Amino acid sequence: MSMEQTQALPLEKRQKLLRTAHGGTGKRTRIPVKCRQRNRFIPRFLTGVVVLTAASLLYLEIDWGKLISRVPDIGGVFWQLGHLDFSNMDLIASSLLETVSIAVLSLLYSLLLGIVFGMLAARNVFRLPWLSVLTQSFFTFLRAVPTPVWVLLMLVCLGMGAEAGVAGLCVHTTAFFTKSFAQSFESIPDETVEALEATGASRLSIFFNAILPAALSQIVAWAGMRLETNFSECAILGMVGAGGIGYVISNSLQGYDYGTAGVAILLVFLVAYLIERMFVRIKKRFY
Amino acid sequence: MTKHIPLIARDLKRLYTGFLIAAVVLFVICSILTEFNLMTLIANGDAFWTFLTEDFLPPALPRASRIPNILSSVLVTLALAISATTVAAVLAFFVALFGSEKVSPFPRFAKVVRGLATFLRNIPALVWAFILFSSLGIGTGVGFVALCITSFAFMVRAFVETMEDVSQDCVESLQAVGATFPQRVAQAILPSCLSGFLSWYLYCVEVNIRASTIVGMVGGGGVGMTLFSYIKSFRYDVALTIILLIAAMVIVVDQITSKLRKELQK
Amino acid sequence: MEPILKFDNVSKQYPNGVHALEGVSFTVTEGEFISVIGPSGSGKSTLLRAINRLIPISGGTVWLDGHAVSCQRGAALRQLRRKVGMIFQNYNLVYSLSVLQNVLHGRLGYMGGIKGVFGLYSEEDKQEAMDLLEELWLESFAYNRASDLSGGQKQRVGIARAIMQQPKLLLCDEPIASLDPSSAKTIMDLLRDMARRRNIACIVNLHQLDVALNYSSRIIGLSKGQVVFDGPPELLDDGTIERIYGTSRENLMMGGRGSDQAYSADCA
Repeated sequence: MSMEQTQALPLEKRQKLLRTAHGGTGKRTRIPVKCRQRNRFIPRFLTGVVVLTAASLLYLEIDWGKLISRVPDIGGVFWQLGHLDFSNMDLIASSLLETVSIAVLSLLYSLLLGIVFGMLAARNVFRLPWLSVLTQSFFTFLRAVPTPVWVLLMLVCLGMGAEAGVAGLCVHTTAFFTKSFAQSFESIPDETVEALEATGASRLSIFFNAILPAALSQIVAWAGMRLETNFSECAILGMVGAGGIGYVISNSLQGYDYGTAGVAILLVFLVAYLIERMFVRIKKRFY
Repeated sequence: MTKHIPLIARDLKRLYTGFLIAAVVLFVICSILTEFNLMTLIANGDAFWTFLTEDFLPPALPRASRIPNILSSVLVTLALAISATTVAAVLAFFVALFGSEKVSPFPRFAKVVRGLATFLRNIPALVWAFILFSSLGIGTGVGFVALCITSFAFMVRAFVETMEDVSQDCVESLQAVGATFPQRVAQAILPSCLSGFLSWYLYCVEVNIRASTIVGMVGGGGVGMTLFSYIKSFRYDVALTIILLIAAMVIVVDQITSKLRKELQK
Repeated sequence: MEPILKFDNVSKQYPNGVHALEGVSFTVTEGEFISVIGPSGSGKSTLLRAINRLIPISGGTVWLDGHAVSCQRGAALRQLRRKVGMIFQNYNLVYSLSVLQNVLHGRLGYMGGIKGVFGLYSEEDKQEAMDLLEELWLESFAYNRASDLSGGQKQRVGIARAIMQQPKLLLCDEPIASLDPSSAKTIMDLLRDMARRRNIACIVNLHQLDVALNYSSRIIGLSKGQVVFDGPPELLDDGTIERIYGTSRENLMMGGRGSDQAYSADCA
């Protein structure tokens, strides 16, 4: 239908002109369809990923045959994990409580430390570039090393106990907070700080009266986000030798006490899920 | 008589007071529960300092014959993280298509898919590793699968959210045109979400570099295992060298991914 | 004349209990230009989406070109859908693709699965899309990303995509609600002319009463999911308008006597 009807159009002439200008009737040549300017980086990136992945898999030399032949065993383990055994509930509950407490304590201590170090790392508080750079790079290093490594080292020098857990978790959490808080502090417009400087206020009083209050809502948000991470990090600490729920899980798995391990894993999941939901709720209400 | 003049809005003040009270209460309860005392920590400061100066510093090089092994273990960690993330991303893409009510051809099952992802995600990678160790035995392969599980679950959620943000509308319009499900995926979802997906992929690589070091410590192979063996044999100065190596690895990867991410957004 | 579309006592109840449509019946024949008016939440959007089953209905039958839409599944449903072009308030383009690719999306319903997946359109389709773009003064933008266009241009691409389907019926869901007045006029003129020239029936959801009165050959007034008016614009008297919108005509016309309430009526 379109042919006869477009014949009748007054713009047919215009189209014909344009078509000849493009060269030929347009029926013979292939018409491209893609964008003139498209991101040529993405195909290259994808190729790179595929090549790197293939090389990695070759390098790892994983014995896939053996792995796959044992896959049915996973079903067996899950079957046994499903037979929840509540007889060790008091042990599980107390270690879960310990884990949660360590997570919360380290979060609170790091919050204070993070504000102090964030103050040092932010460029607009003391206006000492060397101090910011020094603090930032030190904490970049601390952040780059995974938490369990710090906890292991703390275990060595402090001995078993909550202290090692709290101190070890604090290292990474403080490093994380320092970076994020410094970012929040720096997001305060320079004009505001200048205006207060003009009144003759000291650097510290500017920080506590203007910069910190303005960043407070972001600090609360970062803290909520970090609680999730801290709990799951704390839950695995037991597996590398510290106490808490992780120790119960790894110990009962190694001792083939799958019922107890099942209960503990389920509880870890529930607490993590609860924290996540709580955080989503808070975020919805205040932003 | 002077009245107290509030400086900030009432509800905001109430919110912050609430948080402060909650923090203090939590602090007291947790301190009692764990018998954690900052003073003992400070009193132990001497021991800490001796450890730091005598055992830990300065970093020492391991025996020359061990150096190639250590470097190859770094490569194992990197390879583990990259390959596990890629495999998980590919799987997550296909599963995420069924995880959004607006996109999936079977909207009723979207909730089930998301629920499964939530379950897998909220159990830490190391717990998965331990569950798998008890069925598959210790080795790099198990580390690979454990990393796959958590990053798969994470990316399913991230991909579903990206799709619902970006391509919900154009999926509807292609539906109205009469396009099939694969056509909708290839012509609407992929072009509009690919760069978003890839930047989540890069984020996951960053996370997995750290996670694969940890999984290595409990038996997944790689540099984590090397570090663990030095700590266990009390060679803390060598351990520090390896910690520095890990930090360097993580920082370099973070730098590269943030460069790539900028390039992707162009 | 053979009706293209027939609503037979159609109702829709959402899972949350809202009755979006209740006992809606009407027929549409070739070449009609119908405006659907009514306040927000009166079921306009649901009505349009019931036609191509983007929203499944819960009672009654929608007959499209002699087929009952609600009975169709899979390939048969897709074949019905390609007879119906749709234009959206938010344009719903794939913004990372070129304008030409977006227009060609209109052909996906006609193509084999694999060819469509890879976007291997035939040269005839491409030529037709280029002609269509010229007709809409967009030929110089054919290879731009759709995200580079202005609102009015995006909507013109949306029209081109719908026309590419060679539809018998065009559904427009608030086509000018996100546009400035002058682009809105261009779009409405284009819709009317293209539909008239190709003899396509057109159903347009509109917020603006004056636009509906100016352009349509027939107006359907919806209120709380029920048809309260169905007839030519001349017959739409003040009493009926009040029944549709729940407020008087003066309050709907901006700058009229009750102009301070006009916004609330328009945005209600």
